Amino acid sequence: MKMSARAKRMERRRKRTSAVAALNLTSLMDIFTIILIFLLVNNNNAAKPPENRDIVLPSSTAETVPQEVLTIQLSGKNLMVQDIPVASVSDILASEEMTIAALKEELDFRASRSAPTINEAGEPEREIMLQADRKVPYVLISKVMRTCMDTEYTKISFAVLRKSEGEGQ
Amino acid sequence: MRARKRTRDTEVELNITAFLNLMVVLIPFLLLNAVFAQVSILQLNLPSAEESPPDEEKKKPLVLEVLIYQDRYEVVDRQSGPLKIINNNVAGEHDSDELRNYLRKIKEQFPDITSITLLAEPDTDYELLIKTMDASRYYQEWFNGQMIKRNLFPDIGIGDAPPDKSRTEPVAAGGAA
Repeated sequence: MKMSARAKRMERRRKRTSAVAALNLTSLMDIFTIILIFLLVNNNNAAKPPENRDIVLPSSTAETVPQEVLTIQLSGKNLMVQDIPVASVSDILASEEMTIAALKEELDFRASRSAPTINEAGEPEREIMLQADRKVPYVLISKVMRTCMDTEYTKISFAVLRKSEGEGQ
Repeated sequence: MRARKRTRDTEVELNITAFLNLMVVLIPFLLLNAVFAQVSILQLNLPSAEESPPDEEKKKPLVLEVLIYQDRYEVVDRQSGPLKIINNNVAGEHDSDELRNYLRKIKEQFPDITSITLLAEPDTDYELLIKTMDASRYYQEWFNGQMIKRNLFPDIGIGDAPPDKSRTEPVAAGGAA
């Protein structure tokens, strides 16, 4: 095929300059890097609501960020320690005792397998987080708390959903 | 001419394709994992007040308790007796705003006291307990055009309320201490 002089010139020019047009990705990379760092920093596993559908945490204005500690989940149906069912709520309500034997056994077992953390005062202590449904009656909370007091897990905190200030006041 | 050409050749482009792939995978993963409903915690002051040594309490001018009953709050000083009864508001809910206002008055009289004990009935909802804890922990006020938090009684203990005399129906199992 015979080319015109102009076509030849353009062909030569195209060969000389690089064939693939390089995309300028610098700003895209900047955004990605910032988003990545933000998400990595914000990715706190302990600050997630429980995946159990039976548990709706109560909301509160508390701001303390939870640590990665042993969790007790208390729904309207059963009591679980770290996703392992321990006792059913109907049994706990039926029993006259102020503590829950099955829970104590489980907590003692867990305490025997791990070393306690040392607090600021230099004393060993074990912390536990209670994730309870908002409709749970106080008598259940009280029994769980009493049981924890009998074991080494003496520092109890209640997990709540954080709500913003002024809301619902 | 030759010199210019050489400088152009040294402008090497970084191959960021691998890095870009990493980003494209990592960011959707982290975004899916990110939860915007954050959980926080309320720390309890344990052991609860009923187990603390009695001689220590003698020194305090006030041992504050809030009893949560079905239809009212009762603010009580354990040494001298009842201070105030706060009935439920018109909507039939426990009046935590009124409780907060009243505790604020007490705080003005006794600024050194930081502990309070909430006493609940066996069938009190967990949510109500948390709401009462919020009401007794802090109050907010406008200061220089800004809403700021001030502590009321942040060291919260929890205990069982004595049986409610005015309540006719029997309280559910569990019993009060």
